[in-house]
Amino acid sequence: FSTSGYRISSDGKPAKFQPPPKPVIIDKKKEREARRFLSPEFIPPRGRTDPFKYYIERKDMIQRRKVFNIPEFYVGSVLAVTTADPYANDKANRFVGICIQRGGKGLGATFVLRNVIEDQGVEIRYELYSPRIQAIEVLKLEKRLDDNLMYLRDALPEYSTFDVNMKPVSHLDHEEVPVNKLQVRMKPKPWSKRWERPKYNIKGIKFELPEKKMKEAQKWSQPWLEFDMLREYDTSKIEEKIWKEVSEELKK
Amino acid sequence: MMPIWTKSGKKHAVTLLKVQDCHVLRYISKEESGGKTSKLLVGGKNASPFSKSESAMEIFKEAGVPRKQKVTTFNVTDDAIIKPGTPLYAAHFRPGQFVDVTAKTIGKGFQGVMKRWGFKGQPASHGQTKTHRRPGAISTNKAAKVYRGKKMPGRMGNIYRTSFGLKVWRINTKHDIIYVNGSVPGHTNCLVKVKDSKLPTYKDCNKNPPFPTFFADGDENLPEDLYDDEIFQFTDPSVTYA
Repeated sequence: FSTSGYRISSDGKPAKFQPPPKPVIIDKKKEREARRFLSPEFIPPRGRTDPFKYYIERKDMIQRRKVFNIPEFYVGSVLAVTTADPYANDKANRFVGICIQRGGKGLGATFVLRNVIEDQGVEIRYELYSPRIQAIEVLKLEKRLDDNLMYLRDALPEYSTFDVNMKPVSHLDHEEVPVNKLQVRMKPKPWSKRWERPKYNIKGIKFELPEKKMKEAQKWSQPWLEFDMLREYDTSKIEEKIWKEVSEELKK
Repeated sequence: MMPIWTKSGKKHAVTLLKVQDCHVLRYISKEESGGKTSKLLVGGKNASPFSKSESAMEIFKEAGVPRKQKVTTFNVTDDAIIKPGTPLYAAHFRPGQFVDVTAKTIGKGFQGVMKRWGFKGQPASHGQTKTHRRPGAISTNKAAKVYRGKKMPGRMGNIYRTSFGLKVWRINTKHDIIYVNGSVPGHTNCLVKVKDSKLPTYKDCNKNPPFPTFFADGDENLPEDLYDDEIFQFTDPSVTYA
C-alpha cells in the first residue's frame, strides 16, 4: 500500500514520485567562529609603552573574564548592569540603559549607559573589570551608525528612554549583529556640541538645519586628515594575535 | 599604570616596575667610603660593553657580570652585606611594604617661570603691554641685589626626584614585577631606584622581609603572584556587601 498512486497531477495520470528536497545542514558552529568579536579594550593604543605591560594586563583581564562573564556588546545596545551598593536596600543596584560610549584600554575600560528616568536624563559610567559589578545582561544587541552616541543628550528624550523592566530581545549566536540605521531627531539648537561639524562625523542624526548652516559647517572639514600617513594605525595583525591568545586562554 | 581594586571595592592606581637583571657589583666598607655605614654598588639593566672604556668596565669584570646601564649605591648595615655578583629579584620586596622610588624626572627643556615655579603671571587683557607670563618684580628696593637661588626661568626637569611612602600592592615573582601605589617620577620605561621607605610612620612596617635579600637558588618556592591582604584578586567572585 503506497500513497504515491493517489497523487493525481493536472493531466489525470498518477504523478511521478518526487523525492523530498535534501535538508541543507547549516553548520552553525563554523558560522559562529567565522564571526569573531574582540572587545576593543584588548587592542593596545599606539605609544611607547612596552608590549610586555599589555601582556601582563591582558592576563589579569582574561582571569577576570573566566570568573565573570562580560558579554559582547556594542555602542547602541541596551544593557542592564547590577552593581553591589552598600547603601541600597538589597545591597544591589540595577540600571538599564543604552550604551553611548566605550572608552579606555586594558583593565580601566569603561562604558557609559544612558536612560531617561521620570523625565530626568541619567548617564552612568561603569568600569568593565570593576569587582563591584555583579552582572551585565545584554537586553538588545545591536549596532548604530556611529560609535559615539553622545548626541543623544541633545536629541529628543524619546530616543534615550528605555523601559527598566524590558525583556531581553533574543539574538541567535550565528547571526550578524543588526545595524540600526535610525536617524535621530534633535531638540532645537543650542546643543552641547556642534554635531553638524565634520569632525564628529555623525551619520545618525536627521539634521533639520537650513542648507546654509550645513554648508557653513563644512568650512571646518579637514579633508587631508584621511591621507595623513602618520596617523595611520593598522591594528589587523595585532588584533589577530591577541584574538588567538585570548580565545585559547578562555577555552581552558 | 594600571587600576587595582581592594576587597571593599575602592580603586587605586598602580605603577608597574620591572626588576631587570639587577646584580650587586661591589662592597665598599665604612672606612673606605668615609660615611656612617658601608655601601653596596648595585647595577641594573644590561647594556652593550663596547661603548665604555676599559677602566669603567673593571667593576663589572670583577663582579663577573655584563655591563649595566645604571649603577647606584645603597647604604647598608654590616649584617646585610651581600657578595658581589649575586642577582637581585623582585621578591626582595613583599606586598604590604612601603618604598621610596627615585628617578630622573621628564626633561622639559628651558621653561618659563609660570611652568617651572608656578607663578601666576599677569592678566591677559585690560591694558597689559607685552607682559602675560613674566615674573614681574625680582627683588625689593632695600635689598639692592637679587638673592641667590631666585626663582627664574631655566632648564626644568631631568633631575633626580623621589616619591616617598609608596605601598607595594603585588609582586610577580615569575616576571620580577613590583606593583607600587600611585605614580613614580620619570618617563615610561625609565630606570628607577627602589628603596625601603625612610619615613618614620613606616619604620616598623616590614614584617619578616627576606633578609639580606631573596636568593633564587634557596629553598623557598614562592607562588607566581604575591598579593597584599586587601587586594581583590581576579580569581575571586565579585565583591558583595552583605
